[in-house]
Amino acid sequence: MTHDRAVEEVLEFIWSERERGSNSIKGLFGIKEVADEKADIKTLERMEKDGLVTLNGDTVVLLPEGELAAESVIRRHRLAERLLTEVLAMDPDSVEESACGFEHTLSPEVTESICTLLGHPPTCPHGLPIPKGACCKKEKDDLRPIVQPINELGIGESCRIIFIVSNSHMRMDRLATLGIVPGSVVRVHQKRPAFVIQIGETTLALDPEIIKEIYVKRVGGSSGL
Amino acid sequence: MHHGKRTPDRDKARRTIALVGNPNVGKSVVFGALTGRYATVSNYPGTTVEVSRGSLRAGGDTLGVIDTPGVNSLVPMSEDERVTRDILLNDDIFCAVQVMDAKNLRRSLLITLQLIEMGLPLTLALNMYDEAGERGIKIDAAWLSDAIGVECVPTIATQGWNLDKLKDSLIRPRISQYQIRYHAAIEDGIGEIIKLLPQARIFARSLAVMALCGDTTIRAWFSSRLDAAALKKTGEIILSVQSKFGEPLGYLINKWRLKAVDALLQKSVSKEGNSKGRAASFIGSVTMHPVWGWPILLAVLYLMYEFVGVLGAGVSVDILQNIVFGKYLNPWATRVVELIFPSGLIHDLIVGQYGIVTMALTYAIAIILPVVGFFFIFFSFLEDSGYLPRLAVMVDRIFKLMGLNGKAVLPMVLGLGCDTMATMTTRILETKKERMIVTLLLALGVPCSAQLGVILGMLGSLSLSATVVWATVVVAVMFIVGFLASKVVQGEASDFILEIPPIRMPQLSNIVLKTLVRVQWYLKEAVPLFILGTLTLFALDKTHALYYLEAVTAPLIKGFLGLPIEATQAFIVGFLRRDYGAAGLLALQQQGKLDHAQTVVSLVTITLFVPCVANLFMMIKERGLKSALWMTAFIFPFAVFVGGVVNFILRALNLTL
Repeated sequence: MTHDRAVEEVLEFIWSERERGSNSIKGLFGIKEVADEKADIKTLERMEKDGLVTLNGDTVVLLPEGELAAESVIRRHRLAERLLTEVLAMDPDSVEESACGFEHTLSPEVTESICTLLGHPPTCPHGLPIPKGACCKKEKDDLRPIVQPINELGIGESCRIIFIVSNSHMRMDRLATLGIVPGSVVRVHQKRPAFVIQIGETTLALDPEIIKEIYVKRVGGSSGL
Repeated sequence: MHHGKRTPDRDKARRTIALVGNPNVGKSVVFGALTGRYATVSNYPGTTVEVSRGSLRAGGDTLGVIDTPGVNSLVPMSEDERVTRDILLNDDIFCAVQVMDAKNLRRSLLITLQLIEMGLPLTLALNMYDEAGERGIKIDAAWLSDAIGVECVPTIATQGWNLDKLKDSLIRPRISQYQIRYHAAIEDGIGEIIKLLPQARIFARSLAVMALCGDTTIRAWFSSRLDAAALKKTGEIILSVQSKFGEPLGYLINKWRLKAVDALLQKSVSKEGNSKGRAASFIGSVTMHPVWGWPILLAVLYLMYEFVGVLGAGVSVDILQNIVFGKYLNPWATRVVELIFPSGLIHDLIVGQYGIVTMALTYAIAIILPVVGFFFIFFSFLEDSGYLPRLAVMVDRIFKLMGLNGKAVLPMVLGLGCDTMATMTTRILETKKERMIVTLLLALGVPCSAQLGVILGMLGSLSLSATVVWATVVVAVMFIVGFLASKVVQGEASDFILEIPPIRMPQLSNIVLKTLVRVQWYLKEAVPLFILGTLTLFALDKTHALYYLEAVTAPLIKGFLGLPIEATQAFIVGFLRRDYGAAGLLALQQQGKLDHAQTVVSLVTITLFVPCVANLFMMIKERGLKSALWMTAFIFPFAVFVGGVVNFILRALNLTL
């Protein structure tokens, strides 16, 4: 079930307007992104014919099929935002446009991978909820996201660093000189009173601030060199 | 091997060997072995904050040797790292000897690549080879040596193993041809910057890489050698390269280097089995355990009290003061002096109430020296065992409240040895704000060993509760001042990133040597000031100025602090050295002129004085005249104020200590 770009954009904004408590068609057409797609009442009527929405005067309501489609596009959009802010450390205010591009091109498989990579985040960088996907429901069963901040690990567990999210260049540089870069394998030695990790034969005490920024994936066995 | 004096200076300047490497890999041990000079050796990162220079005779030549502070990168992040980088940048290096931790080659090689990039003649020492062996790490040194094109000598510096071989190879250093290529866009940027650079001692490529890494400390080098147009161009090149990547360039460049390092390691290092169940690693873990770490810390403090306070300040001082000086030296000196000068000014100057022998030397040698000696033995043991960085882990959270982090505990604990040395060690802290706060706290509240010993001796003769009151007041005052200072002093705190070395059994020879060096340093530092202090008192006494001074300060000393008027003398010499002031208080206590509460009040006050004149000079040197004077102007009145408050509370509550 694929829809063209304009329809996806309209569905997305029906959903987000509803989150804000509005279902006005006039309000919908007042949104810049919708206008940019040249969506008009004809688009809505086409969508009504396809069984996605019902129109009643100035109000528009999602039908079950439209609901599913809208949820999917919202999910892709917000996951893309999170990916851009966390992995590429972009500013939440500037990711909107890129995320809009992503949401129309992400395949379901890629969407699930991103969701898992990010540890099934519950909200987008702006604090709005991200609808759950199939992978998130599966995740509830084994309860362990693949990538998570290192402070989620238990004492004695080893992990491979996947990415480090920091706005401080100096901090990233210092960590790199100590060998703390993506790909390195580290072991959690203790978490209190300060966080201590082992990398190779080096034992390092690190600020909780820094620890929160190191995202890792569990590995079995002990750390390498 | 002391050839230093015979070496003409220009020769020294021409051929220098620089010992470089990560922190705590044994550069100072190698330095000592090569030059026969002692540079302080401990088991924690940041022991060496100033360069030591010596010389080495090899193959009929005399070469200068420089021991540098440890670095994790040649793009400096702190003042001590910068010292090392500047030596490599500006000195004429005959050979850079990189001392490496053989069990941590990954991090060491990261620096090797940077040294190679600089184009320096290089020799590698794979030090702590035994520790690598114990952990099942096997290193193919010959392969590594071929791969990067410089000599790699496995060494165990503390045992002197293979150092002769190292010496042989460092006089024939090689310049490596090994080169890593970064991402094409970075390489383009390097190429463009090189075109703008003048001839330099080190390869232009490395300067270009440093600039791309965003090294702010290299800016001065660039701006003094490039014209405005070229500088602007450099900035534009850096920005345009950076704009092609989402991550900072310095980080990316390090990532490329690590990739190259990992490729080297894959072929040269193998690891078999796991080192497990070793007693040292158990001690290492338990001493920073969230629960067991605290009783261990208390046990360490208690041991220190027993060793320094009871054995040093109690038993040893008693023997020296009452028997050696009291029964033999002072009466003997008095007799000799009386033979020549039966009475009069010179007689009093040497053996009178404020005599150089009877007061200055008795205090310096009989009271302070044993305490300092005992403290340094104990402290050296702590330093060499590797306990101190673990202490930093324990107290990190507490220090955070003072705008500092756990790393600041290193200079603070060192301050218990000598505040002057410790003020210099604040260089290991990364931000100006942290250095400022720690300097203030050292000057205000951390008693140095000499003073601590006297204080513990005095309090030990009272009761445990007196000791607890004193310690609580001093710690609380430091904490409050630290907390307030963190709000007042501008700037930011730095990240807590601290390397924890393995627990090691201290070497007796190093402890003895280090203690001797420090005691000698103490004598050189303290005795002249003790004599100066005594002369001041002598002059004040003879001119009767002391009498007037006591009368003038009586409302303060007697009224506000509730102390006997004789305590004024102790506070006067306390301006020169607070341990000397404490020794004066000890004398008063021994004469029965201080009751328990008075002892505590006087000790709190003198503890909060600026440590000594030397410390003041060090503050001026490290923090600048203005800051040092502000701190001093705050500390002295504040010390008296706190003493007065304690006096008032103790009297009001009518506590028996």
